[in-house]
Amino acid sequence: MSVSEQQLDDWVQDTRAHKNVYIDQQVFKLEMQRIWGKSWIFIGHESQVAQPGEYFTLDFAGMPAVMVRDKENAIHVLHNRCGHKGSKLVSKPCGQGARFTCPYHGWTYKLDGKLVGVPHQKGYEGTGFDKSDPQFSMQRFRSESYRGFVFATLDSDMVSLSEWLGESAITIDNLCDRAPDGEVEVAGGVLKFDHACNWKLFTENLNDTMHPMVVHKSVVDAANEYIGTLAEDSPNKAEAEIIPPFGSSYEIYEESGITGFDYGHHYDGGKISIHSNYTVIPEYKEAMLKSYGEQRTDEILSYNSHNTLYYPSVTFKSAIQNIRVVRPISANRTVIETYSFRLKGAPDSMLQRTLLYSRLINSNGSMVGADDLAVYERVQRGLQSGASDWIEFHRNYGADQRNENRVTNVGTSDLDVRTQFRAWKHYMIGAPLSGAAGLSGTGSGETQ
Amino acid sequence: MSSSLTLEQVTALLYKEADCLDRADLDAWIELYTDDGTYWMPVTPDQEDPLNHISLFYDDRTIMEVRRRNLRHPRAASKDLPIRSSHIIGNIKIVDEQADGVLSLSSNFHCAMFCDDTQTLYAGTYVHKLVTVDGQWRIQQKRVDLINCDSALGSILIYI
Repeated sequence: MSVSEQQLDDWVQDTRAHKNVYIDQQVFKLEMQRIWGKSWIFIGHESQVAQPGEYFTLDFAGMPAVMVRDKENAIHVLHNRCGHKGSKLVSKPCGQGARFTCPYHGWTYKLDGKLVGVPHQKGYEGTGFDKSDPQFSMQRFRSESYRGFVFATLDSDMVSLSEWLGESAITIDNLCDRAPDGEVEVAGGVLKFDHACNWKLFTENLNDTMHPMVVHKSVVDAANEYIGTLAEDSPNKAEAEIIPPFGSSYEIYEESGITGFDYGHHYDGGKISIHSNYTVIPEYKEAMLKSYGEQRTDEILSYNSHNTLYYPSVTFKSAIQNIRVVRPISANRTVIETYSFRLKGAPDSMLQRTLLYSRLINSNGSMVGADDLAVYERVQRGLQSGASDWIEFHRNYGADQRNENRVTNVGTSDLDVRTQFRAWKHYMIGAPLSGAAGLSGTGSGETQ
Repeated sequence: MSSSLTLEQVTALLYKEADCLDRADLDAWIELYTDDGTYWMPVTPDQEDPLNHISLFYDDRTIMEVRRRNLRHPRAASKDLPIRSSHIIGNIKIVDEQADGVLSLSSNFHCAMFCDDTQTLYAGTYVHKLVTVDGQWRIQQKRVDLINCDSALGSILIYI
């Protein structure tokens, strides 16, 4: 089946989206070209290639890519493909070297991707082949970094990374500012979690505050039941601070608010979130006060967003110091990677709490993540039903308040989904990024 | 090597633990662990540190207690359908017995797990550290190294 521009317009409306947006492989391919092929896509953090020659390989919307630091300390994001016969050049997840050498015919490349070595070159004489022709080098992505976080785009016309982030950069700033030294580094490894669902079911759940009290009721009940068996003076367990807030009331989630931005970014919380009431570790507070003074420390620690999505590829938790990276594989398969960060200048206990959180909430063995994944996979399967072609997102529609570059609504609204789909239509069919106009297509809204 | 337990005795203990898991009986399973016991599933081969590096599981008693209550909760979406598993354990070896009385065992395992129409095969190595408490052998730590621990796995719904 081929998908027309009119269908793409019709399939995403103000308060509903067509099931094909989630289950159709042709739509998925178009998304990879038009959203993932234009937007700034998260690559990694500069600390993952801290030394010259260090590299880190990744999947960029289905394409092998590699981030590398060259001898002059410049960071490049390159297509991980030999300019000769197309072999994937680097296979290890990360490593260090002086050159990239193809395992097939031994072509070698400098760390900036330039082809420098072709064996037995005389056979090319007079054939029109020119080693210095850039087409035979490793091709470069356009990449930029913001406070150490590297993004890349395939679109040379895309606005700069900082313009694309806009005011939503507050969460990246807050993550870095939470370090007494003002910098973070990737620490403690990566979790990779295979999700049998469309990538949007993951991104749409990040600020879906109507699900935790339902989906996570079992683990919240289990945690509260166990905490109830403990003596009152038993030591304050970090687990007891992390799990029960997922069961917060509709009213608390409503109050936390959602803020949306251009290009599909959004967060929930800001002043309050389910991370607001964590104990501040005394040695950490001391280090922060020393670096920033009391007023600035309070400002930094009182910013409490829950999840901030930088649409479509990465979500940040600044109060927890972890991020999750979205790697779409097909219409019904997505891999989610979780990275944790060390706050430079903070005691080790801060990283240990971040890792405890990542393990309890985001790991494959998590009781929270497993129930999230179970419901995403049920949606993926349920959408095969012929009962309806549509899924809806009406909640608090008509009350999304635009104020300059931000759109806000209550935390229990579907503003997050509408924000993502506004960007979806912009990337997919060139619809306006902002403004008063709704999302509804020009067609009848019916499908063939 | 000489140790306080014979190979036959440690084999019986490993079988008993696997049997609790195959019956999804975490109430009986948790009693095999010391109060400070941990269940650890690293995310990289040869991982040394459970606290400063992420793991798939690193459960202390608190999380074990939450997990066994979560398993029997009627409203856990990932556990609506029965979870069945079958363990085979082999190559059981007594590695050493330290002066402080900690006995280390290593073994290989295959665990087939079935849930929601899908069967998953987990394979790898166990390292059990045993100690005696009031004359009974208990597990102080079980380490589970999956051969594919660093690949993109789905949800692991129960202890392996």
